[in-house]
Amino acid sequence: MASGYDRALSVFSPDGHVFQVEYAGEAVKRGTCAVGVKGKDVVVLGCEKRSAMKLQDTRITPSKIGLIDTHVCLAFAGLNADARILVDKARLEAQSHRLNLEDPVTIEYITKYVAGVQQRYTQSGGVRPFGISTLIVGFDKGSELPRLYQTEPSGIYSAWKANAIGRSSKTVREFLERNYKEDMDREATVRLAIKSLLEVVQTGAKNIEIAIMAPGQAVEMLPVEDIESYVKNIEQEKQEEAAKKKTGRTPGTGSAAILTRPAQDEPGDQ
Amino acid sequence: MAPHSNGTSPHWSLKSGVHQQGCPELQVLLGITGKDFTLIAASKAAMRGATILKAADDKTRQLNKNTLMAFSGEAGDTVQFAEYIQANAQLYSMRNETDLSPSALANFVRGELASSLRSRKPYNVNLLLGGVDPITDKPSLYWLDYLASLAPVPYAAHGYAQYYCLSILDKHHQPDITLERGMELLNLCADELKRRLPIDFKGLVVKAVTKDGTVEMPFDNDRIVKSA
Amino acid sequence: MDTLVARYSRPKYQQNEVFSEQEQQDLADAVPSLSLKFIMPPVAHPSAWLRAATDDRSNPSCPIKIAHGTTTLAFRFQHGIIVATDSRATAGNWIASQTVKKVIEINSDLLGTMAGGAADCQYWLAWLGMQCRLHELRHKRRISVAAASKILANLVYQYKGMGLSMGTMCAGVTKEEGPALYYIDSDGTRLAGNLFCVGSGQTFAYGVLDAEYRYDLSTDEALELGSRSILAATHRDAYSGGFINLYHVRESGWEKHGFTDTNPVFWKTKLEKGEFSNVTSDLAE
Repeated sequence: MASGYDRALSVFSPDGHVFQVEYAGEAVKRGTCAVGVKGKDVVVLGCEKRSAMKLQDTRITPSKIGLIDTHVCLAFAGLNADARILVDKARLEAQSHRLNLEDPVTIEYITKYVAGVQQRYTQSGGVRPFGISTLIVGFDKGSELPRLYQTEPSGIYSAWKANAIGRSSKTVREFLERNYKEDMDREATVRLAIKSLLEVVQTGAKNIEIAIMAPGQAVEMLPVEDIESYVKNIEQEKQEEAAKKKTGRTPGTGSAAILTRPAQDEPGDQ
Repeated sequence: MAPHSNGTSPHWSLKSGVHQQGCPELQVLLGITGKDFTLIAASKAAMRGATILKAADDKTRQLNKNTLMAFSGEAGDTVQFAEYIQANAQLYSMRNETDLSPSALANFVRGELASSLRSRKPYNVNLLLGGVDPITDKPSLYWLDYLASLAPVPYAAHGYAQYYCLSILDKHHQPDITLERGMELLNLCADELKRRLPIDFKGLVVKAVTKDGTVEMPFDNDRIVKSA
Repeated sequence: MDTLVARYSRPKYQQNEVFSEQEQQDLADAVPSLSLKFIMPPVAHPSAWLRAATDDRSNPSCPIKIAHGTTTLAFRFQHGIIVATDSRATAGNWIASQTVKKVIEINSDLLGTMAGGAADCQYWLAWLGMQCRLHELRHKRRISVAAASKILANLVYQYKGMGLSMGTMCAGVTKEEGPALYYIDSDGTRLAGNLFCVGSGQTFAYGVLDAEYRYDLSTDEALELGSRSILAATHRDAYSGGFINLYHVRESGWEKHGFTDTNPVFWKTKLEKGEFSNVTSDLAE
């Protein structure tokens, strides 16, 4: 369709598109889903984890949730390998900031930095944009206010109360829009994050990762058993609701999303 | 690539051979290892010319949970170098989700000093690096100077303090001493320095590294020492 | 086949379009490099040449006389920070000016003091003001005194050994830090502290200031002590004098407390308080 404009990197097409950036957006859509939810005094990141193959060593396979600094956490959707580079740049900047300003980075600052790097790779010759969106969460130094930001391949960044990126992010976001409440406690925040992920993750707890951040504390990766109990609890509740609504039709929530993807949709990330 | 402050890329320069600031030899650095700890002590005076600018200076930087580095030497170089090393140690920890061991760090620091030595503007910094290995729980202490010598030692000192304290430690140090005994030895050294060093070094900051991390130790710097 | 090759290969000059390490680093610095490029004198060793041309002590007839000699002080106390300086600029034995502003208003909340080379201090503190404003615009909040002082310290450290001569203090009050005071000098030292005196008259100022300094000084007491310490230095140090420039820094910003001629202050102090008793006011005996 676009005669050559999608080959020359970072060049406008006549109708104002930069195709490479838009294709990067496609890579994001094929990445596994990640959600971020802000509570009253915590912020939670949740990730869909690809099921490991039989011979894969899951203990040392990298996670999709990474620490940028002790107080900043990042989750991404899209190309794993690209993310590694971006995360490393962010970590370097975080330490540089500490060295030169004698203060840890604010969440907004590091978000802006990450988005800045992504933007640069849409406007320079010989490079390809990052095929990832990120969710960046954490707490500024001396602040109790949870922060949640998103960045996109184009370099756009935005702040959210709760958001999802990656595969079926639209479904999950709409779910979050329906179910988000202000001032949730830790339990409710984690629960909402898991519940929203269950909209698109069919295999349950073993394919979910949860990271919890609280002010002044190290990041906490929720153990699988805990996630399992949340999942069980959520499923039980769903069944009860379904039983109540027996007279009506089966609830439509989630059923559409449980459709399995065609195998060739899988991009090269693991 | 490593985080660099704007000071760490040496450009042109011709070093003025004269040290304008207080003589670096008068800065005290001490280190003692024991059964399950490493003690590091550094004098609190920041000198320049005939003036003590600050009497509560901390000439140590924590590199990670179980490694501490004390530094003395040329004004400016010391802090710039120490903070550069600190930033890189912390970056390593963030990148690899694990801390470097004290021995790894000591060798890294030696490498940095060695390449700096051969640059146009070398860092003029002497160091003690102490820590406890997070895996083996073994305490260790490394002595480094600005010529990039590295030596693992049971106890160490820099500057004029070497001439007084090493003989004391030669006599009284034992490899399996307790932390309490370590503090006693440090008091022995501090007393002698107060007695014989020609200037007031404003007492010592003392920090202990154990497998649980680094803590500042209470240290009585106000003891009056009688001359013999 | 050839057309395919042509499409995917680039002319040689374009082949290395991927960023070099240094380029990546430059691009990664959201803040442009702090150093500015200067034109160097056309000699083999600019810094050695400069030293030879300006070192007044080893060569009293050196062609360039740099303005030196100063007394500046600053100290923290419960209600903020007092900053005081004299106002004399000397070049060798010549008093070049008696009305120099040695307190540099970096912005409405930050003060810097100058001792050492007047041009070095004036230029780099003005430059620091620019960096602070840029930080404010980029980060949507005021720069901390710690960060501001470190920008300056890193800068002078880059020029270490090249003839910069500055001894400066940065004073400011922020919500996060409270009253914060830093000493920075041209060999790269940067120290946080409660009390500093800098310049050729520093020892005289220290003498008066140390004796009566307390953190819980009242504002009036603190202002008086600051100005009296400068007076002491102007009295004993030949390279300090002129006017007492007095400032008080608070969280709401700094306030100026006059630019007062030392002469009447000296006589007032002497005649009303009986101090400076070694100076006799009458010619008899």
